[in-house]
Amino acid sequence: MLSLARVEVAIAGARILRGVDLAVPAGGRVALVGRNGAGKTTTFRAIMGLLPLVAGSVRFDGTELAGLPAHRRTALGIGYAPEDRRLFPTFTVEENVRLPAEVLGLPAAELRARLERVWELLPELVELRDRRAGALSGGQGKMAALARALVTGTRLLLLDEPFQGLAPALARRYGEILARLVERERSLALLVSESNPELLAPFVDTIATIERGEILSAAG
Amino acid sequence: MGLLFLLAALDGLAYAAQVFLVAVGLTLVFGVLKILNVAHGSLFAIGAYLASTLVGLVGVPWLSLLALAMAALAVGVVLGPVIERGLLARIYEKEHVLQLLVTFALLMILEDVQKLVWGVQPLFEDAPVRLLGQVEVGGIVYTVYQLLLLPGVALLVLVVLAWFLRRTLLGRTIVAVTHDREAAEAIGIDSRRVYLLTFTIGAALAAMGGALAAPTTSLVPGIGVQTIVLSFAVVATAGLGRIEGAAATALLIGLGRSFAVYFTPELEVVVPYLLMVAVLLVRPAGLFGSTELRRV
Repeated sequence: MLSLARVEVAIAGARILRGVDLAVPAGGRVALVGRNGAGKTTTFRAIMGLLPLVAGSVRFDGTELAGLPAHRRTALGIGYAPEDRRLFPTFTVEENVRLPAEVLGLPAAELRARLERVWELLPELVELRDRRAGALSGGQGKMAALARALVTGTRLLLLDEPFQGLAPALARRYGEILARLVERERSLALLVSESNPELLAPFVDTIATIERGEILSAAG
Repeated sequence: MGLLFLLAALDGLAYAAQVFLVAVGLTLVFGVLKILNVAHGSLFAIGAYLASTLVGLVGVPWLSLLALAMAALAVGVVLGPVIERGLLARIYEKEHVLQLLVTFALLMILEDVQKLVWGVQPLFEDAPVRLLGQVEVGGIVYTVYQLLLLPGVALLVLVVLAWFLRRTLLGRTIVAVTHDREAAEAIGIDSRRVYLLTFTIGAALAAMGGALAAPTTSLVPGIGVQTIVLSFAVVATAGLGRIEGAAATALLIGLGRSFAVYFTPELEVVVPYLLMVAVLLVRPAGLFGSTELRRV
């Protein structure tokens, strides 16, 4: 479904990704594991089109994404939850979650169905729907960012360091949600990054290790 | 003394309305594009000159108000996209100093274009003011145009803009890009389109400020520069990117300047800037601005 081939990305002249090869098949659950600064976030941003490729290709369902503007990638069924949440602070949780679906111009019934999917999976957000995102705690913000990614992520979900900064109880809860999601939606592909691979073990089938912008190994 | 107070208040209100219309466009553009558009003053000036020309051309008094609106719209939809696509889109990723210099250069160029088209002789066309007539308020005969039309339009712009940004999808995409361009792109918002739309709205607001100011003053070269400096004072005092704040600050500065005119005329020119300096010394982010904290 998603394949990166010899992807190279530079930021301010410094080469961050050096020929990354990575594949996430339909229904595949891939962990991207590496230390801070290894290139995990850059990989996600390159997939989303937020950074230009110096070389290589990013293909989704056989279509080359390199020339596709970032804002047109969610329409393919891709959802992205960045490491630092990046919610819009003056919007409520519900406005943050609805916005990607509204921007896509989904029919009302489809929009409703997608939101119901999100609230059902993340019931703890229901009572926070009217709270401004800027007033959320770090953990609540992570949940809201996941909810926002789920609205467009019907085929591929990209989660960048979802457990980072979460208290142990919240991290467990986040893990339960992901485990439930992958069990219910078998065709959903998942690419999730983390420094600590143990947290991802329950719901991934492949672990790819990244180091200094290169994939060192990919093991199932 | 009471009459003088009332006159100063009425003048201040009308002046604040004019200043707000220009400042709100400047602050909107800065909030989204993160570019302080010095050429905003030229859009005000061209809007004013074009409005005067159109009012003179239509000749019929009752069409003069429509001519003002048409002038603002024409500047917004013609010059706005040309400047944004042709110039600003090329410098979004550049340093702020360069952006400032480019828009300053544009101000200079447009000033000369304005002299080329309209010459350097003062231009005065007050048909819209005469059309609406005068009214007596507390013993003072005042123009309806300045008493009601200018503050009314400013209030309408404030309300419509706030409603547009909060209640419409297009408005929310603008706010989202204001907060975080990359996050907005990642959820499917076309930030290039948002930039174009925002700049066009900002340009039309500047031109509307000019068009509405035109019937109350003689148009001379340099009005664009005067306006941008004063608008910048309003925007900086309010806090960059704050729309409601710009309204409150325009009122404060408009009234401050007006009272200075009547009671301490020697301070008229400096009062807006004294207010700005006083506010920024105490609150560097402006009256309504805030230093953003990032949760980790």
